[in-house]
Amino acid sequence: MAEPILSIEGVSFRYPNQSDYAVQNVSFTAERGEWLAIVGHNGSGKSTIARMLIGLLRPERGAIRLFGRLLNDATVWEVRRRVGLVFQNPDNQFVGATVEDDIAFALENNGIPRLEMVERIREAIRQVHMEPFLHYEPHRLSGGQKQRVAIAGILALRPDMIILDEATSMLDPRGREEVLETVRRLNRQQRITVLSITHDLEEAAKADRLIVMNKGEVMAEGTPEQIFRLGSKLERIGLDLPFAVKMGSRLRERGIPLRIGYFTTEELVEELWTLYSKK
Amino acid sequence: MTNHLIIGQYVPGHSVIHRLDPRAKLLIVFAYVLIVFLANNAVTYALLSLFAFAFAALSRISFSFIARGLKPILWVVLFTLLLHLFMTKEGDVICQIGPLSVYEGGIKQGAFISLRFLLLVWMTTMLTLTTTPIEVTDGVESLLGPLKKMRVPVHELALMMAISLRFIPTLMEETEKIMKAQAARGVDFSGGRFSERMKAIVSLLVPLFISSFKRADELATAMEARGYRGGEGRTKFRQLAWKPVDTVFLAAVALLFALLCLLRS
Ligand SMILES: Nc1ncnc2c1ncn2[C@@H]1O[C@H](COP(=O)(O)OP(=O)(O)O)[C@@H](O)[C@H]1O
Ligand SMILES: [Mg+2]
Repeated sequence: MAEPILSIEGVSFRYPNQSDYAVQNVSFTAERGEWLAIVGHNGSGKSTIARMLIGLLRPERGAIRLFGRLLNDATVWEVRRRVGLVFQNPDNQFVGATVEDDIAFALENNGIPRLEMVERIREAIRQVHMEPFLHYEPHRLSGGQKQRVAIAGILALRPDMIILDEATSMLDPRGREEVLETVRRLNRQQRITVLSITHDLEEAAKADRLIVMNKGEVMAEGTPEQIFRLGSKLERIGLDLPFAVKMGSRLRERGIPLRIGYFTTEELVEELWTLYSKK
Repeated sequence: MTNHLIIGQYVPGHSVIHRLDPRAKLLIVFAYVLIVFLANNAVTYALLSLFAFAFAALSRISFSFIARGLKPILWVVLFTLLLHLFMTKEGDVICQIGPLSVYEGGIKQGAFISLRFLLLVWMTTMLTLTTTPIEVTDGVESLLGPLKKMRVPVHELALMMAISLRFIPTLMEETEKIMKAQAARGVDFSGGRFSERMKAIVSLLVPLFISSFKRADELATAMEARGYRGGEGRTKFRQLAWKPVDTVFLAAVALLFALLCLLRS
C-alpha cells in the first residue's frame, strides 16, 4: 500500500485549564483519494482533531504527519495551503465582501500574483457550479451556496485534502445534498482526500471507511459494513443509526431473510424488491 | 428587508463618477470640503454650487434622490439660517418683526453659511452614493499606504473596516431574528414605559453581543485556517487603476481652488 497522505500517531490534547483530555491517544491514517468519515457524539473530540490537523491546536503528545512530513511550525503554512477546512457555520467563515473576494482571500494570504488569482478563481467557481454568483454578497446566498463558496476558496489553492467539520449540519436537506454532491465529485474526479466529520450516520454510511469516536478516544474503525454491525453499541454512545439499518434489523428479527450489508435507504429498497426473485 | 438593504446607500451605476478611482473621489471630496471655506461672496459660492451640481449631473443619479438624502439635515440648515438672520447685525435694517430686526448682513450670512453646509453634505453624499463601501476601504488603504512606514497598521485597519461592512447585513438579519424570538416570548419592543422598553432592549442586546463574540472567534479561526498571517507578503485581488479621467477631475478641483482664491473678496 502507498504511503498514507495523513497519519496521526498517539495524539492527545487537553484544552488549557482542563483536567480531562479532549482527545486521548488517537491514531489513524488516510490514503490518497480516500473518503474517511469521523463520527461521534457531541463533545467526543472530533473538531479538536480537525483543528490539530491544520495546526490550529498543538497536540500535547503524539505526532501528526501529512504528506510524509511532520506537522510543525516550519510546515504549518504549507499544510494550511494543501488541506482545507470547512467549518459548521456558513456565515462565520465568509470573509470577503463578495463571492470572488472570499475565494481570493486564501490566495492573497499565500501571495499568489493577481493575474493567476483571476484564473484560479474562475476555475474554482466553475468546479462548485457557482459561476452566476461571482459578484454576489454573502447575504444574498443560501447556506449551501455559502458552503460551496468556502469549498471553492479551498479549491483555488489546489488542495490535496478537504476536511468537513459538520459542514452540512446547519443546512436544509437540499443545501446538504448540494454540498455533499460537490465534494463527492471532487473526491472521485480529482482524487482529493476527504475527511468528513459528522454525527449523521446516514451521511457517514457513504464513506470508504469510518472512525467512531467516544469521549476523546477511537472506539472503532472500519468499513461502514463493519461499523454498522456494532448496532446497539453505537446507539449506546449517542449515535442515531440510519433508518435503513434499523429497519433491516427489525425485519430480520421477524424472520425475513435479509442479507447484512446495506446502510442506505436505496440499498435497503433494492434488497427488498429483489428478495422475492432470489428465493 | 435584507434583500434591498443598501449599505452606505450606494446606488449602482456606470457613470463617469461611478467609474472614477475611489482614491480620486476621496481626494476630490476631501479637497472640496476644505476649499468650501474659502468662499465668501456670491461669485465664489456660485462657482462651488456649479461644481457640486455638475458632479451630481455626471453621476446620473436623480437630483430628487440626492435631495431625499439631504432631508435629515434640513432642520439644521433652517436653524442656522434663522440664527444668522436674527443675530447678525451688519448693514442696513431690511425689516422689523416685533423686537427682532433683520439686517442685510444677516440675510447674506445666513444664506452663505446654510449653503456651505448644504454643499458639504451634498458632496460627501455623492461619494457614498457612487462608491461601494469596499471601494472606499480600498481607497483609504491605498491613500494611507505611506503611513505604514510610521508603523500605522493600515492593512489591519482596512481589513477591520471591510469585515465590519461585510457583517452589517448578517447582524441586521440576526437582530431581526432575535427580536421576533423575544416578541414570541412576550417582549414588547414598540411601546410601554421607559423602564420596560429598556428591559426589552437588553433582551435584544445580550444575545446579540454573545453571538457576535462567538462569530468573531469563529471568523478569526477560519481566517487562520485559510492561511492568514497579517499583511506581510500578501498580494491583493482588488486593484485600483488610476486613469487619465481621474487626473482630469483632480485638475478640475485644482482649477476651482485657483478661481476661488482669485475671486474671493
Ligand atoms: N475552547 C475550548 N475550551 C475548553 N474546552 C473545550 C474547548 N473546545 C472544546 N472543548 C471541550 O473539548 C471536548 C471536545 O470538543 P470538540 O472537539 O469540539 O467535540 P466535537 O467536535 O466532537 O463535538 C468537549 O468536551 C468540549 O467541551
Ligand atoms: Mg464539533
